[in-house]
Amino acid sequence: MKSMIRNNIGDLGLPIAMVVLCAIFTVAEPAFLSLDNLNGILRQVALTGIMAIFMTFVIMTGGIDLSIGPVMALAGLAAYAVYFGTELPVGFALAFGLLAGAAVGAINGFAIAVLRLPPIIMTLGMLSIVRGFALLMGGPDLHQIRDEPVYTFLGNGRVLGLPVSVWVFLVLTAVMLWVQKRTSFGLMVSAIGDNARAVHLSGRSVAKTVCLVYIFCGVGAAIAGMLLSSQVHTASATYGEFGTELDVIAAVVLGGASLMGGKGSVLRTFFGVLLLGVINNGLNIMNVPVDQQLMVKGVIIVAALALSEWAQRAKT
Amino acid sequence: MPNKLFKHIPNAGLIFFFVLLTSFFCLFANNFSTSMNAENILAGYSFIAIIALGQMFPITARGIDLSTGSIVALAGMVIYDCMLIFELSGWVSIGLGILAATLAGALNGILIVRFNLQPFVATLATLAGYRGLVYAISGRQLYPELATTPLRDPAVKALNEFYDIGSWTGLDQFFQTPWIPVSFFVLLGVMIALFVLLTLSPYGTALKATGGNYEAARLAGLPVRTITISAYAMSGLLAGIGAVLLVSRLTTSTESLGIGMELTAIAAAVIGGTRLQGGKGNVLGPVLGAFLLGIILVGLTLMGISQFVQQMLTGGILLAAVGYDSFRTRKQA
Amino acid sequence: MSNELLLETIEVSKRFGEFVALKSANIEVRAGKVLGFVGSNGAGKSTLIRVITGAHAPSSGTVKVRGKVVEKADPALMRSLGIACIYQHSSLVSTLSVIDNIFLGRQIRNRFGLVNGKAQRKRLQEVMTQFEITVDPDEEVGRLTPVSQKEVEILKALVASADVILMDEPTAWLSLSEVKTLHATIRKLSAAGKGVVYISHVLDEVFEICNDITILRDGTMIWTGPEEDIDRPKLVNLMVGEALGEASRAAMTAERHPRGTGEVRLATKGLTKNGVFHDISFEAYAGEILCFAGLIGSRRSEVVKCLFGDDKPSSGEILSEGKAIRFKSPSAAIASGICLVPEDRHAEGLCLQHSTLENIVIPSLETLSQKSILNRQSMAEMCDRQIKGLNILPPDPHKVVGRMSGGNQQKVLLGKWIEKNPKVLILDEPTVGVDVGAKAEIYATIRKLRDTGTAVIVVSSDLEEVMTLADRILVFNKGRITSTFDGGEVDNDTLIQAIGGEEVA
Repeated sequence: MKSMIRNNIGDLGLPIAMVVLCAIFTVAEPAFLSLDNLNGILRQVALTGIMAIFMTFVIMTGGIDLSIGPVMALAGLAAYAVYFGTELPVGFALAFGLLAGAAVGAINGFAIAVLRLPPIIMTLGMLSIVRGFALLMGGPDLHQIRDEPVYTFLGNGRVLGLPVSVWVFLVLTAVMLWVQKRTSFGLMVSAIGDNARAVHLSGRSVAKTVCLVYIFCGVGAAIAGMLLSSQVHTASATYGEFGTELDVIAAVVLGGASLMGGKGSVLRTFFGVLLLGVINNGLNIMNVPVDQQLMVKGVIIVAALALSEWAQRAKT
Repeated sequence: MPNKLFKHIPNAGLIFFFVLLTSFFCLFANNFSTSMNAENILAGYSFIAIIALGQMFPITARGIDLSTGSIVALAGMVIYDCMLIFELSGWVSIGLGILAATLAGALNGILIVRFNLQPFVATLATLAGYRGLVYAISGRQLYPELATTPLRDPAVKALNEFYDIGSWTGLDQFFQTPWIPVSFFVLLGVMIALFVLLTLSPYGTALKATGGNYEAARLAGLPVRTITISAYAMSGLLAGIGAVLLVSRLTTSTESLGIGMELTAIAAAVIGGTRLQGGKGNVLGPVLGAFLLGIILVGLTLMGISQFVQQMLTGGILLAAVGYDSFRTRKQA
Repeated sequence: MSNELLLETIEVSKRFGEFVALKSANIEVRAGKVLGFVGSNGAGKSTLIRVITGAHAPSSGTVKVRGKVVEKADPALMRSLGIACIYQHSSLVSTLSVIDNIFLGRQIRNRFGLVNGKAQRKRLQEVMTQFEITVDPDEEVGRLTPVSQKEVEILKALVASADVILMDEPTAWLSLSEVKTLHATIRKLSAAGKGVVYISHVLDEVFEICNDITILRDGTMIWTGPEEDIDRPKLVNLMVGEALGEASRAAMTAERHPRGTGEVRLATKGLTKNGVFHDISFEAYAGEILCFAGLIGSRRSEVVKCLFGDDKPSSGEILSEGKAIRFKSPSAAIASGICLVPEDRHAEGLCLQHSTLENIVIPSLETLSQKSILNRQSMAEMCDRQIKGLNILPPDPHKVVGRMSGGNQQKVLLGKWIEKNPKVLILDEPTVGVDVGAKAEIYATIRKLRDTGTAVIVVSSDLEEVMTLADRILVFNKGRITSTFDGGEVDNDTLIQAIGGEEVA
């Protein structure tokens, strides 16, 4: 019995956990299963989800990106600065925000892939640098965004009943799922996490792929940052506060990605995101104080990893 | 010739930078070379030096501790609660705070050893977990009316004292000597204790061996798992001591205490020459690293440079130190 | 004192499930004598060492130290009985000093529990003086030369009062002069009454330093006796020679194509890597199977790494189709048509968590994708081609490679390179851990490649394999090419002699 659980927990653990938790929460508070609430869950996880999708690729190569929080803020500020500071149309502003994210990602990627700095330290350092830079550029204040139709649409608009951010999340998930399965980039990311040396000896550029992976991650954080900006109608260097990256990593880990690299999939991260949303929402509904939810998340990450380690040991 | 010099005096390069930067700021920053500023730096960075010394242990064991800031907050809040809610005596509260921090550190170690988690993940998770715990036990939230009450216990006051060493030793006849804060003496005491532990006792070699070549250490019969756990417990312990000093200085503790402190501690330790691949560590390095950071940040403030630039610089210095460390390792390989 | 029987194994056997690693080993280690262990990889040397050091308990037979039977297999116990082993890979902590390493885990303490540095230094000095070994106690081990590091390991054993010191491939990373230094130290150990076991592939050294020699093959001790009673050809013969299998005998009469079509695809002139290999000059022709023969440790893999761009030589030239070239990376070599099937298929060749299909397509991703989008059709066709062509079992393109047998894994590895249509294909030990059936299929594939004009270089320590496949043979010895033969024109014994290090005209 124990071995049966052990062998299959990798594949079945997540759906089972989801079902069990939904059941518990519904019993505690029937309002949990309402359409409104489920809609709310999606909306709450959309931004985390977008970043988690891209973080999956980073984790698949055995790396990590802790700098996504400040990148969110930076992108939001960058877009705001271009839009309200110049005559350029909104599209340019948004593109500039994406560029800011990509630039940070490129710096991370270069340092990690070429200079061989450890990802954890590099992105930890960038976290500080980007945050400081954002504060320098935009100050600690909130900058109001008023009367901007595109922003309003992005932030409050709904298409077919779902908020724009949710659509972005779903579309990006589908796109990156396709990238993972159908592009050489996707195969490379997975192979590098498995055996980077073998990939190098096969004549492929590991550094290029690793660099790209961080650039994507930065772009993902930029997208989330600009959406956040539009949702709250402000741009600020203080957004993406501490805890953001934890949510993202928790979602990826819950989805079953091994932090040692190699295994991981966009689809599983998607479900991990949903599971995290369910947990967050359930805790809210049960009136667990917001700050204590941090504790719960810590426990979740440890538990998920310990379980996957246990399952791993079964296979070897 | 310079190479030999660097080899024989540990941290020679660091001391050189230290002197260089101090001179720079004395020349270019207003009020830098005043005794008041020296007091500020000593009071403000002694506890960071202690926490950096703590961070040296897991790094030497080839790991890392990202939860230091949360452990500081945890210790702080335990002290706060004990003094204001349970009205325990100052020294007892302080003892409990340090105990809590040590246990938190030990738990980090246990998670890493028992569940085979990578150090950065385990301590990332506990960074969240312990911070949440701080909120959960926060006296300020449970009894909001206490939020503005400062800690008035005599122990706290004692720790916040400054001593006029200058007049005792008669040095103040030559120049205006700064008054030395208690926290600096605590730092000195910690340094001496750690020196004995790391250099004179078998523990130091055992720790470096565990980090430098885990398999060899294991084969030599060393209890590598226990040593690993102890490294994280030490990190917690020293974070706790640092927290005590910080709380005394602030005469209060908040839920957001210590956020980001792990970055500063890691930066100080790495600048101080602790190699990230483990196996090496000395007592003077992290202290020099911490004060070096302190001098830079305070100096820049006095020169009128925005604190945001300073935040960038802390990150930048960390990366430069790590980059240099990585470069040197690859050159040797 | 001299000639005392320090350690004995009597009829020791070790079985792992069905597999018999060691059969009836009878070893005698005597004080003041150096015993050499010789045998190919897989011959059972490592298992015997593990039994002696207490890491494995024998399945049958006894181990005696100084005449007393050892009841339990326990490394700590064996260490306390004076049995020490210096492994091929350093068990020193490079960031610690010499003296800290020597006393690791056994530090002398004073009554406060602190380390008694003075006592340690005194003890170390005693040992250093007695055995005339000098090292700076405070130097960081990582900064020492390889031979000094070996000496530190010897000192570690001596300080721990070891009487029997086993050395596993002690000269693997040492230069010739460093080997002399090490041998001088070993003689001092003997003179002081220690028993030394010297495990090595380098026959020169074995004959030089050992008093007695034991030869292992396939887990059995096939010869043991004093060094004077055996000569090099006989030893190599016993080590690797054996009646060749039927299939190879048949293959022996097969047509050989030395120098193939006459077109030189790859050549080197005076290729040297300081301290590793020297003055390598050869030509590889299209339509020829060129074998790099030799014992393990003759540095052929290192040469091959330089040919593939995975390492840099110190001097000399590499010529690809006549043009002098330096490959900066494997991708550059591949672009020039040179491909390498590496020795360690797990660590360097395959992505074990991925499928056959995924592994095969990785080197060919440019041709299989447009603007990065994978063309599933072509991928499937490519995989199918190789599965059929190499008879990869199971023939499922989605089978995870890590779960396949060694032979099939090797075929996947081959398949991915065949798809690149290489001009030169280098295979490093292509049939290690491969079953007989797969071996034959791989040989057939290699011959087919040759027949279609590829220049094939096979690095092999398997004599039978060399005799079966080679159109031409280059014999390597300690990093140099010492003999060349045309395939089919050399007999077993001559080849064995050459491999053993004798210069053969």
